[in-house]
Amino acid sequence: MRILGVLLRKELEATFTSPVGYTIIAVFLLVLGYTFSLTLVATRVANLNYIFHQIYVLAILLVPAATMRVFAEERSTDTLELLLTSPVHELAIVIAKFLATLALILGMIGGSIVYAAILGIYGDPDWGPIYSGYLALVLLGAFLVSIGIFMSSLTENQVVAAALTLGTALMLWYADSVSGMLPAPFDSLALNLSLIGHFHAMATGSVFLSDIGYFVTMTLLALFLTVRRLEAR
Amino acid sequence: MNIVTSTSEAVPSPAGAQDAEGALTIRARGVSKRYQSFVALHPLDLDIRRGEVFCLLGPNGSGKSTFIRMLAGYLTPSSGSISVCGHNVVTDGLEARRLIGYVPERVPLYNFMRVGEFLRFAARLRGVQEQNVGREVARVVELLALDDVVRKPIRTLSRGYRQRTALAQALVHDPDILILDEPTNGLDPRQIMETRALIRTLAGRCTILMSSHILSEVEKTAHRVGLLLNGKLLGVRAIAETPNLEAWFLSVT
Repeated sequence: MRILGVLLRKELEATFTSPVGYTIIAVFLLVLGYTFSLTLVATRVANLNYIFHQIYVLAILLVPAATMRVFAEERSTDTLELLLTSPVHELAIVIAKFLATLALILGMIGGSIVYAAILGIYGDPDWGPIYSGYLALVLLGAFLVSIGIFMSSLTENQVVAAALTLGTALMLWYADSVSGMLPAPFDSLALNLSLIGHFHAMATGSVFLSDIGYFVTMTLLALFLTVRRLEAR
Repeated sequence: MNIVTSTSEAVPSPAGAQDAEGALTIRARGVSKRYQSFVALHPLDLDIRRGEVFCLLGPNGSGKSTFIRMLAGYLTPSSGSISVCGHNVVTDGLEARRLIGYVPERVPLYNFMRVGEFLRFAARLRGVQEQNVGREVARVVELLALDDVVRKPIRTLSRGYRQRTALAQALVHDPDILILDEPTNGLDPRQIMETRALIRTLAGRCTILMSSHILSEVEKTAHRVGLLLNGKLLGVRAIAETPNLEAWFLSVT
């Protein structure tokens, strides 16, 4: 536990001293503020469904920028050699990086709580879908971060890592659209892999264990693959 | 400011110079590394004794760094085994790595940290007890004359200070074995002399395995030398028994 704390502190410092993190948060809040204002003026409806789907798209676009440096930078500056030749288990290294990057993404998503507060002050929103929407965003963030970290462990080129993460997220996003063109049993497999399919239900107030299970399983799978990748050297 | 070192040119003899197995610190048996069809290191056997300064000599691409990286736990051998004080570096990797201080050829430093902060991080990473972190960091700062830069960001350091900081992080947990991959690479003549003097100071206190492709460096710092060429260990010689290292090198290669 002590080593995990040491690594986590280092990762948090690396994450929050980098201008990339602040740029991502700034872009996110700027775009979201713009769309929130437009949506509220246009619909005058006190819910955040539209905002949650905006955040979904922004997260898919911005998380790769946050995760691309995680291992790729350590590899290109040889500091990965320092970590992996220390008496530290690979799992601790991966968890520390995952938690630090997730902290950045949760900070970014947390900035949108101000919109929920505005709705609460000036309207009478149904809080159930808002709570479930934020649960969906946390699970989505964890999932995208784990995918990004895995992709970053595959290469020392940050741009390649970001492109691989974005490509994987987009393929999972459109998996349900592809399912209609596939023969059984691949159609149901593609449907069950669909990112938007599992996100949409929670973002609109329907919480199913299967959706939570999807995000948790995929996150753990990506982290497991990252550990295996580090061990295979 | 000079690094705190021995002023003697002689390398102190290893403490356990006898051939008894208990005196062995590093034991490699049939160790090889293969990348698909390319053999980076052919199977080699090597014993390094406690307190010894052992140098792997060979040109670039001869397999020195490959062996060193396998010993440090960064690469996994394709065959054979390496043990460090009885701990297998693969199956008992955490214990083995606890005993090792390692400076790769390209110094691995976090540029966003300050020198002191980095050394404290390295100490904690290597398992130094929290109450001893300050004391151990102060020890290596004094040993490597880093007092002037201890509060400076690493990104502002000169090449020489970066090398010293990398050495300090490798020594901060007082390791039994110090591994230095081309430790004088890219340093100016004064820094090279200081690094050699430091190695002489540490000789006897811990086992040192270093690599080099410079014959004069090997003669001045090592007790024994192993010659690697094209991934093959061609021979091992004691420096004291090899008056003309260059002639031996030419005869073997």
